[in-house]
Amino acid sequence: MSTIEEYAEIVDEAQRTATAIAQLTTTNPELSVDDAYAIQKVSVARRIARGEKRIGIKMGLTSRAKMQQVGVDQAAWGRLTDAMILEEGGTLKKSNFVHPRLEPEVVFLLNKRLSGTVTELEAMSAVEAIAPAMELIDSRYENFKFTLSDVIADNTSSSGLVIGAWRSPDVDFQNLGMVMFVNGRPVQIGSSAAILGHPVRSLVMAAKMVAQSGESLEPGDIVMAGGATAAHAVSVGETISLEVQHLGSVSISVEE
Amino acid sequence: MTDQIQKAADRLWEASQTGTACAPVRDLIGDMDISAAYQVQDINTERMLAAGKRIIGRKTGLTAKAVQQQLGVDQPDYGILFDDMDISLGQEIPVSRVLQPKVEAEIAFILGDDLNSDRLTTADIMSSVEYAVAAIEVVGSRIAGWDIGIHDTIADNASSGVFVLGDQPHKLENVDLRLCGMVMERRGDPISVGAGIACLGSPIAATLWLANIMATAGRPLRKGDVVLSGALGPMANVEPGDAVTTRINGLGTVSAFFS
Repeated sequence: MSTIEEYAEIVDEAQRTATAIAQLTTTNPELSVDDAYAIQKVSVARRIARGEKRIGIKMGLTSRAKMQQVGVDQAAWGRLTDAMILEEGGTLKKSNFVHPRLEPEVVFLLNKRLSGTVTELEAMSAVEAIAPAMELIDSRYENFKFTLSDVIADNTSSSGLVIGAWRSPDVDFQNLGMVMFVNGRPVQIGSSAAILGHPVRSLVMAAKMVAQSGESLEPGDIVMAGGATAAHAVSVGETISLEVQHLGSVSISVEE
Repeated sequence: MTDQIQKAADRLWEASQTGTACAPVRDLIGDMDISAAYQVQDINTERMLAAGKRIIGRKTGLTAKAVQQQLGVDQPDYGILFDDMDISLGQEIPVSRVLQPKVEAEIAFILGDDLNSDRLTTADIMSSVEYAVAAIEVVGSRIAGWDIGIHDTIADNASSGVFVLGDQPHKLENVDLRLCGMVMERRGDPISVGAGIACLGSPIAATLWLANIMATAGRPLRKGDVVLSGALGPMANVEPGDAVTTRINGLGTVSAFFS
């Protein structure tokens, strides 16, 4: 039986070297969700020790489409660092990842601390700005297959962020059309309502989940609310863009 | 050939009259042109009219690329809407009313002009739309287990059932037809999500296709007609007792209740 630290090293190295690994639960079926969050915390601490900065968190598996795509039945969260930021309108190198996928999201920027049980009103009043975003998810597990514990230990597949222009949150963002285009043609069509019925619920859930790990969301943090549709597996040569009603668009191209 | 078409129409008519789903009709007309399936549909349309029903609009179906691929076609299809398919907002829909019901969220257009030409343009459609309104279409299939190919669904009046229109009609200039978000919920759970672009790129494009086809077929769209332009997201199952609510951003809310 490996320790939390040993598992953390395995997933961290897999991420750092873009190498697929076997599921942790293959050798340790007993791995609990709590163990998995402990592994995630230590593995991200290794990244911070290498000089990366924490910038916020992401919520994952917050839509029915995503839960069905990966075969789990509850939401999860992961930690974001500045090394994950990809240039909006720029390119991403596919070879830096194992089997990258992009998914359409909205992202919040906070101006107040949130932790534990908060109301939607408190969550909304902590939002400084909102932006359209795509998350690059890249499970380090072979064939993108995992249990809930596996994916949490792997920092919920978090790998990259493309964030568009921020705007004031004074727009009703409950049910915004979200369309992801590949080379100009729509491939994924959904609505921000796919995110738990309303993206602000994802922020409320984020505050509760980080508190369970003894942490909080801080002013200046960003919170990725979760994918609104199934993710798109990227190929070299594609330009992928997301258009969100009232929020604008983001785009990135994929190279070797 | 005419004989096969008549047999297919009889099989579907009997299913609709007895409330017992039948076998697919592709064994009869599946090797014929798509127009044969529309001839089947037309025979039963005439029967409906002979029974005193009135045509009040049309529906377009197969407006999502994924659904077209599934059925191996590259164009939408259409069906006829009759007066008794119009369910008032708030009324219960008995589950026996539609065979094997499923629900779809759509934008409905109410026309303010006749579209009596087969050379219509996008501009003609835009200027003829009186109102856009959120709608729930309750589709159904007279064919057991929804075991349908393209011929089966067209012959079966495009798997139509009943529909509910919302009560917030909007002028087109106030609606983002392409990027409007759509969510359909049952007990607070999103069972279908999408956006306007899912309907053939734009619900206007689907309506233009329909209007030209209907003029060619000799049943042109008329002032006052309702057009159910096509689903904005995947269809979802419903059970007796369900209440389904659809919100389309900018068009308000519409609900369907199943008793």
